[in-house]
Amino acid sequence: MPGLTIDLTIYDDEEALLAGLRRREPDACACLIKRFAPLVYAQALRLLGDADEAEGALQQTFIKACDKLDTYEGRSGLGSWLYRIATNEALMLLRQRSPRVAIDHVADTIQADEIPQHLTPWTLDPAAAALNSELRATLEQALMTLPETLRIVFVLRDLQGLSTEETAAMLGLGESAVKVRLHRARLRLRELLSTYMQEH
Amino acid sequence: MTCEEVIAHLSSYLDHEMDAALAAEMQEHIAQCRNCRVVLDTTQRLIVLLHDEGRHIIPMGERSALFDRLQQAFLNRPPASDSNTTV
Ligand SMILES: [Zn+2]
Repeated sequence: MPGLTIDLTIYDDEEALLAGLRRREPDACACLIKRFAPLVYAQALRLLGDADEAEGALQQTFIKACDKLDTYEGRSGLGSWLYRIATNEALMLLRQRSPRVAIDHVADTIQADEIPQHLTPWTLDPAAAALNSELRATLEQALMTLPETLRIVFVLRDLQGLSTEETAAMLGLGESAVKVRLHRARLRLRELLSTYMQEH
Repeated sequence: MTCEEVIAHLSSYLDHEMDAALAAEMQEHIAQCRNCRVVLDTTQRLIVLLHDEGRHIIPMGERSALFDRLQQAFLNRPPASDSNTTV
């Protein structure tokens, strides 16, 4: 099928790819999609927790990217640029989905049920287990059980690697709220994964 | 420092967003408290794990139709104005 079997090495680097995109070369387009769509999709899915919505966000991301391509200045790298557009798309979908549960509606203190319960060291070394697909599935599943308000902060900070400041700006939150939510999300995930880590 | 206080400040400690005096107090407590040591260590491992996970691609399944739609959206976009082609 066209587009999916394309040779990714036609373009030497991002600059060449970008030039191809601006000339509307179908190969450049296919190359961009093949290189970035799966990553953008993964990020949208982690934010949204819904495969159909993540697909919608992915599609919107590439449509918006087309519109903005001529003004894109290439400072941040194509990947980060697409991530940013995708994050905004996903956040917009989240706000539409639950307009009454505002994104900043959360207690900004550690809750009683977040005090660590599992106090046994992990026997599994995550660095060595990074390619373990079972662990990976457990992790993605645990992520989806986090309350949305914690999950979003967590995905942007710990998975996407944005700074506290960037995350705060993106969500319209104070930096201290971002820090507290990130901390709460980490404590919860630690509990959720502890059982697995001790059994394997 | 109590265990509760250590737990409450754990992320700031791990993210190096804590002043040196408080960090020293944390270290002192952690050196003597096995439980807090475990929580610190496992939280740290969790963050390492997640850092790798962030770069992991979730399979999109059979999505060739979606790829085609994305490509059409790109190729069919309206032409850029010639006066504005500089980067
Ligand atoms: Zn303690």
